[in-house]
Amino acid sequence: MGAENAEMKKKIESILLKVNNPSRYIGGELNSVVKDREKVGLRFAFCFPDTYDVGMSHIGMKILYSLKNRRENWWCERVFAPWADFEALMRENDIPLYGLESLDPIRDFNFIGFTVQYELCYTNILNMLELAGIPLMSRDRGEECPIVMAGGPCVCNPEPLADFIDLFALGEGEELNIELLELYENMKKNGGYSKKKFLEQAALIEGIYVPAFYDVSYCEDGTIKEVKPIGKGVPEKVKKRIIEDFDKVYYPETFVVPFSEIVHDRAVVEVLRGCVRGCRFCQAGFIYRPFREKTAETVVSEAKSLCESTGYEVLSLSSLSTSDHSDVEGMLEAAADYTEQRHISLSLPSMRIDRFNDKLMEQLSKVRKSGLTFAPEAGTQRLRDVINKNITEEEILSACETAFKGGYAGVKLYFMIGLPTETDEDILGIVSLASKIADLWYNMNDRPKGQKLSVSVSCATFVPKPFTPFQFEPQISPVEINRRQKLLLDAARGKRYMTVSYHNFRVSVLEAALAKGDRRMGDVIYRAWKKGCKFDGWDECFRFDLWQEAFEEAGLSMDHYARRAMDCGETAPWDHLDYMVSKEFLIREREKAYKGITTKNCREGCSGCGISKGIGRECFG
Amino acid sequence: MDKYPVRVFLKKKGRAVYISHLDLLRAMQRALKRSGLPVWYSEGFNPRIYLNFPLPLSLGTLGEREPMDFYGIEEIPMENFALRLGEVCPEGISIISAGAPVHKNRDIGSAEYRAVFSGNVPEIERAFGEFLASEKIEVKKRSKKKGEITLDIKPHIKIIGTDTGENEFSADFILPAGNELNINAGVFTGAFTEFCKSMGISAEIVCTKRLNIYCQNGEIFT
Ligand code: SF4
Repeated sequence: MGAENAEMKKKIESILLKVNNPSRYIGGELNSVVKDREKVGLRFAFCFPDTYDVGMSHIGMKILYSLKNRRENWWCERVFAPWADFEALMRENDIPLYGLESLDPIRDFNFIGFTVQYELCYTNILNMLELAGIPLMSRDRGEECPIVMAGGPCVCNPEPLADFIDLFALGEGEELNIELLELYENMKKNGGYSKKKFLEQAALIEGIYVPAFYDVSYCEDGTIKEVKPIGKGVPEKVKKRIIEDFDKVYYPETFVVPFSEIVHDRAVVEVLRGCVRGCRFCQAGFIYRPFREKTAETVVSEAKSLCESTGYEVLSLSSLSTSDHSDVEGMLEAAADYTEQRHISLSLPSMRIDRFNDKLMEQLSKVRKSGLTFAPEAGTQRLRDVINKNITEEEILSACETAFKGGYAGVKLYFMIGLPTETDEDILGIVSLASKIADLWYNMNDRPKGQKLSVSVSCATFVPKPFTPFQFEPQISPVEINRRQKLLLDAARGKRYMTVSYHNFRVSVLEAALAKGDRRMGDVIYRAWKKGCKFDGWDECFRFDLWQEAFEEAGLSMDHYARRAMDCGETAPWDHLDYMVSKEFLIREREKAYKGITTKNCREGCSGCGISKGIGRECFG
Repeated sequence: MDKYPVRVFLKKKGRAVYISHLDLLRAMQRALKRSGLPVWYSEGFNPRIYLNFPLPLSLGTLGEREPMDFYGIEEIPMENFALRLGEVCPEGISIISAGAPVHKNRDIGSAEYRAVFSGNVPEIERAFGEFLASEKIEVKKRSKKKGEITLDIKPHIKIIGTDTGENEFSADFILPAGNELNINAGVFTGAFTEFCKSMGISAEIVCTKRLNIYCQNGEIFT
């Protein structure tokens, strides 16, 4: 203990009481891992390009943090983006970006690794590199600089970040990170290390993508002509990594417990990975395939270990779709047995409407009574079929009825505006669905007295994402998004039980452009950051005007990326990355979407997306 | 067995200084949970360990002897509460003692603090004397009923002593605390640093520490 950098600590403490929520900048939380810097050989700065409150809620970071720190010789520390008040004082007082465990500047570390969860944090990555005192461009970083890497769902199209990042880790990180760090350690030990040689070797590890070893050429119309490997022996297509035995994969025995309140302040067990559903807009549903789950036994034993060592009062069984666990009732029962006796509340964030029944309701009501959230995504059956959200109106209504009978007086519904083929009828369908839910409530004889019904509708804007059947789709124009939002609001007027919320559509436009961006986007991101853009995902920081200027100055058009329908034969910026879901499948799914034909879920039968071929076995059975 | 009250005294220092009252409450609820001690939970759908701080401590202030109350539900030796809780406290928090509460929350009348300042020490010392000699020491204070009010805190300040070191100047003082009139140490130190500023003297607060809590009748709050 006491391994923290005393000089840095003094500097940091001199400004802490001048900022909001200072405990997030000083470390020392329960279960954080402090080692002796003299005794470790490899130092890794795990950077989350958003605030502490957001980053500390992220489960992938917790997994990889604990995993790396299991090695005696490695020390992995946490780093988050400082909020504006703290950043200003850091700059004023010459405090470079540091690791929360040692308080040492991360520019002296061996690795800086970013986890990229969403497009709107790109400028934060640049800002963090600059705060660390490290050249932003990969090509400008010499031997003395740490290796800068990035992983996470968003790097399935890493091209917009290609200028800044030395290597990307595609897919699941548990094995990949270990192999990569071992390679580094061995090369250093054997004296054969140079940044270039390391990158060359790393590029041969399955799942590692070194953008500098690929050359991109463009057609006159701005589309991509070709992506050519130029590195020694590097694969033409880089395949993502998958954990074969998910039940046995490493899971942390404990979490760092923050002092201040964070977004998801609780024990979390990841109960399954992947999704059997295949909603056609959902990137997570495709890039995390195949579906794998932990046994109820594993889930409960991991939950116990976490709860005992953290003292958390909430346990969340988390995944893309927790109710799709093959033994969800058994798992819940076993979990509830434990949590009830320990006064822990159980939270199930992702419930499918069609899996919501009395039995589940009973399990849930035993422990918690907050609002219920469902995601029909579209207002009419026609559009739900187009997006392959395989739920019917009856199922939605029956789930709400179950909830009302179980004592809930409110439901929250998630929808999307601007989905391919959407018409005004679909928008109005959202309101009529809400009315039908309200009718259910008002017609119920034994509805709880004194409670007021609340149906809250939250509308996101459709953003076409790589590796989905809708990756080819254009986003509708801002004017049109605006009109449809207004249409919805007008239709909902006068329905007092209903509240409608929606996002700033300009954010979605930028998100689409960045999501489908190619390497040239690096220049835009750089310019936007130079102009002062950061925390773009935060309403109070988002500056669309500056982004527009950045696009203009870089000679690129936002519309080219966000609003152009891509030809299915066109080379996408991410086509040289293999997420094992084949392009042919995506095209097939897109055609079915236009015909309103749904695809069965993976458990009911395989639709040949390419995953089983990629992993060399059937996904189920 | 019925629930029975337990009062623990803890130290809050080091990194724990940067946490707010609510953060401390949460951190101690979790520590109690980790300890596995037999404590009472509030009822309801989201059961929580019942925990109360008779005199909340603000962010940035160290605590030398902070009381914290909860209920036990099984008979165990009082010192076990201190021992077992002490083992699982986060960095910066340590447990001094545990026992049955002697005083009631409403008995609290004042608290003793130490504030340490750095800067031009001789000048700060001189300024401190002048500051206390001012006719009035007016501060803005928010009150629930009347909104923001101006309050002259001079009659309420009791100086215990000062100490002038090589690099630091420190002052020990007592301020009213509790239900009737509560003045945070920060109000006093803030007013003093403002005063220094107006005289062109640079004075930075190095740390503020609550040393003890007293009852209205002068007894140490126990
Ligand atoms: S290969 Fe078949 S079962 Fe496996 S993920 Fe793809 S569609 Fe689903």
